[in-house]
Amino acid sequence: MKLFRKIGLALSASVALFAASHAQAQQVTSIDVLYCYPSFARFHEPLAQEFMKLHPEIKINFRAPAASYDEGHQVMLRNAVTNQLPDVYYSGYHLFGELIRKLEARGQTVRLEPLLKAEGDAFAKTNFAPRLIALGQVDAKQYGLPFNASSPIMYVNGDLVKRAGADPTKMPTDWDGVIKLAGKIHAMNKDINGMSYDIHAWPDDWMFQGLIYQQGGVLVKPGTKKAGFDGAVGLRTLQLTRRFVTEGAMQMVDWDQSRQQFGAGKTGMFFSTPAQLKQVTEAVGGRFNFTTARFPLDNKAKGGVPTGGNAVITLAKDPAKQKAAWEFIKFVTSPQAQKVVVEMTGYLPTNQLAISPEYLGPFYEANPNFRTATTQIDKSLPWAGYPGGQSVRIWRAQRDVVGAVMRGEKTPEAALPELIKITEDLME
Amino acid sequence: MLALRTSTRQSLAGLLLSLPSGALLVSLYVAPMLCLLLLAFTNYEMGNVDIEWIGFSNFSRVLNDVVFKRSLWNTLLYVLIVVPLSVGGGMFIALLIHARRRTRSFYEVVYFLPVTSTLIAMATVWQFLLHPKLGPINSMLSWVGMSSQNFLGDPTLMIATLAGIGVWQLIGFNMILFLTGLSNIPKELYEAAAIDGVNHPVDRFFSVTLPMLGPTTLFVLVTSTITGFKVFDTVAVLTQGRNQSEVLLYDIYLEGFTYSNMGYASVLTLIFLLIIVGLSAWQSMHMDKKVHYG
Amino acid sequence: MKRRPHDVLPSVAAHSVLLLGALVMLLPFVWMLVTSIRPPHEIFEGSLLPWPQEFYGWGHYEAALLNVPLIRFMVNGVLICSGILIVQILVAVPAAYALAKLHFFGKDALWIGTLAALSVPIQVTALPIYIALATAGWLNTYFAIMLPFFLSVFAIFLLRQAFKTFPDEIIHAARLDGMGEFEIIWRIVLPSYQSTLTAFCIFSVVAHWNDLYWPMIVISETKLAPPPLGMMFFANAESGSDYGALMAGATLLTMPLVLIFLVTRKHFIEGLTMSGK
Repeated sequence: MKLFRKIGLALSASVALFAASHAQAQQVTSIDVLYCYPSFARFHEPLAQEFMKLHPEIKINFRAPAASYDEGHQVMLRNAVTNQLPDVYYSGYHLFGELIRKLEARGQTVRLEPLLKAEGDAFAKTNFAPRLIALGQVDAKQYGLPFNASSPIMYVNGDLVKRAGADPTKMPTDWDGVIKLAGKIHAMNKDINGMSYDIHAWPDDWMFQGLIYQQGGVLVKPGTKKAGFDGAVGLRTLQLTRRFVTEGAMQMVDWDQSRQQFGAGKTGMFFSTPAQLKQVTEAVGGRFNFTTARFPLDNKAKGGVPTGGNAVITLAKDPAKQKAAWEFIKFVTSPQAQKVVVEMTGYLPTNQLAISPEYLGPFYEANPNFRTATTQIDKSLPWAGYPGGQSVRIWRAQRDVVGAVMRGEKTPEAALPELIKITEDLME
Repeated sequence: MLALRTSTRQSLAGLLLSLPSGALLVSLYVAPMLCLLLLAFTNYEMGNVDIEWIGFSNFSRVLNDVVFKRSLWNTLLYVLIVVPLSVGGGMFIALLIHARRRTRSFYEVVYFLPVTSTLIAMATVWQFLLHPKLGPINSMLSWVGMSSQNFLGDPTLMIATLAGIGVWQLIGFNMILFLTGLSNIPKELYEAAAIDGVNHPVDRFFSVTLPMLGPTTLFVLVTSTITGFKVFDTVAVLTQGRNQSEVLLYDIYLEGFTYSNMGYASVLTLIFLLIIVGLSAWQSMHMDKKVHYG
Repeated sequence: MKRRPHDVLPSVAAHSVLLLGALVMLLPFVWMLVTSIRPPHEIFEGSLLPWPQEFYGWGHYEAALLNVPLIRFMVNGVLICSGILIVQILVAVPAAYALAKLHFFGKDALWIGTLAALSVPIQVTALPIYIALATAGWLNTYFAIMLPFFLSVFAIFLLRQAFKTFPDEIIHAARLDGMGEFEIIWRIVLPSYQSTLTAFCIFSVVAHWNDLYWPMIVISETKLAPPPLGMMFFANAESGSDYGALMAGATLLTMPLVLIFLVTRKHFIEGLTMSGK
């Protein structure tokens, strides 16, 4: 009898122990996260570490990062077909709409409205400016939250600007002014390029949209399949690109070479994404006085800037994973996390609380160049796509035409109808 | 086994020996190609739930595809530059190195280095070297009085530049193949030729070396041509097909992966394969007859 | 033996040509090395001076090794390349022999198929193979990375060309001695072509060490990644690459290949002691 009792106790003890440890193990939810650009591991990894400390019951598992937004998009499509979607993905804005529409058709998307609502009515409004949270929407439905955002800014070589007789703290605020200054800089030293606006080499149409938006124009006439940049807006866009080369002394190199050249001190004004601020700052070293300025707007009232970057979405259908994914998404878009990202890159913080003195205040004081992008938030416009889902193909065709105009092979007047035709033909 | 006729035994052996490669050939090449053939008649886009049979529409689309025609032309130009230079150059360098004694391993390593390069890093190096303002190559051009060239940006120069880099990558590879071929030539043949009065190096080359290098040369020619047609990496990394520098494989990649038009990309792929297979088959059979197998 | 005058001139000429070519071959590597020891702001200064103005020490090499599991990636590279090479040789050598020396049903089909497959790039067959692997549940494994390369039509072609020069009489004699075809291949024929085989080994290892396209499609876990993936961590178009670390990483990755080459070169380039056959 005693023996049975002992065995019985031992058994129940071990069962209890087993159940307890099993329950403990079961409580750890592991989620798969996929992001683009492997070098961004430098902020994704620390953020994940921080998150796991705060949430020991959730494990973040990073999949091998995609080489670029485009590659990431392809990975997601393949995963959709083989049913292996990650739980969290960071989608470039320009491919976001296309991705969501394709996944929606397969029933693989997750809407964020219910999750946001559960956080309370004030959550969304307090953390995200309307223009930024709109970046996570497709057809007015909330699928993601903005994680990285950037709007084009002007990188300035203060020394060259001063030598040309202008004040680096008062850079031109319209394009005629920029071109004139660039011309002067080049006149001082023929070896220097006055400016570079690498629209001919940009892998997507961000810079192109920049020139259209700053005039107050639109990419596509709303509700139609007609290009919005016909007429004066389109003409001026093409004329500007040609004048960059003829009057602004711009040389048409590829965008890596262009950035390297600015770092070496051979370009006066360089237009690009603030995400490159950290690297350019390092490349410049102390070689010259390096400052940044706002993107010039010809139309001060209606002009805007396109917003690049990526939105974070979740595809998790399993309730435990979805909850874990949502916690993670909330964390990476929180002011603390955004502070980390901004300090490492130059991106715009997508959480408006991050700009306050409590978080990025001191950093911006010490590094005013990084603050420039934040002064443009009220002018931020979404990075538009064309109806029909052929945006990438359209841009590549457009880019050839723009390149021809810049090289002087076509006049802006002749090229504009061609540009419009290409765009509208591919929009069906 | 011995009861079977020798030829049957050989046949059986032949079949068994080639079975693994045959099986892999079917599963890794033939089967995927059949999928491709089927896709060519559809409008399938990656990620779509539905797929429609559209007959020959994709094929007729090719006729009006400006980008495809451009990439075909660019690829031909690329091959016409890369093949003669890398095959002829490879042979020439191999001949020179083969005769060296003490410096041989040094030269071999140096010429082989480009073959080992990782493109991701090399791309940045080339961007710098070819930079119109910052790069040493343009500096050297200015010493001889030429103006600085925009190698990776000027549409008229891009394909030639890419071809130059292609030769750089390939010449060492071909050199190794030629060195191997040279080492397989028996010394006795040169001695026999010397007895016949063939003493001058150039004569020795044409009467012994070149003929004995026949199989190797054929091989190098065919593989270099195919490598040339398959150019993709340098374009993807250095120019992304900008300024009309697309090549065949890159256009196929754009259509099939970037634009997700798998159906249309399949047609382009079939055309691509037809061209290369036709060309290399012609090369092989044409030259196979002329090659002396010893 | 004293070198005669008309021996020296061609030698000088040959060296001049070779050295000129060597400079062209080396130029990119020189810049790669120099960049890996330069501080970031000096990298694009536009001078090829090998000595940086500020000695940056091994900072970039540290970054390359520590920020990214480069050693792990290199171990993966070794595993993947060896696995591929072994299967390639086991499959290709018998096939090449059969195509060169035997007559069998389907020989022409196999030969044409091989030549045709030489033209087919991995980009073309990637998707169907990917979906097949996904269906079998074999994605994200070393096997998946190696599979498409198990068949090396290049090897079959190369070895077939070589084997064709082997004297038939020796093979006949071996058969009369009672040797089976399999034995003939590995013990009689192949040993005469050590140089060709070694050359192929080098090519295979170099090609697959630097391979990125296919592995990126089939793996989703970084711990299986091949060496070039490590480089991707430093090459970033969005925010600008970390050029110093990129070059340091590339240098580290190239070194094993150069070492292998130096060690094995004797086996495929016999110098003046041509043993012939």
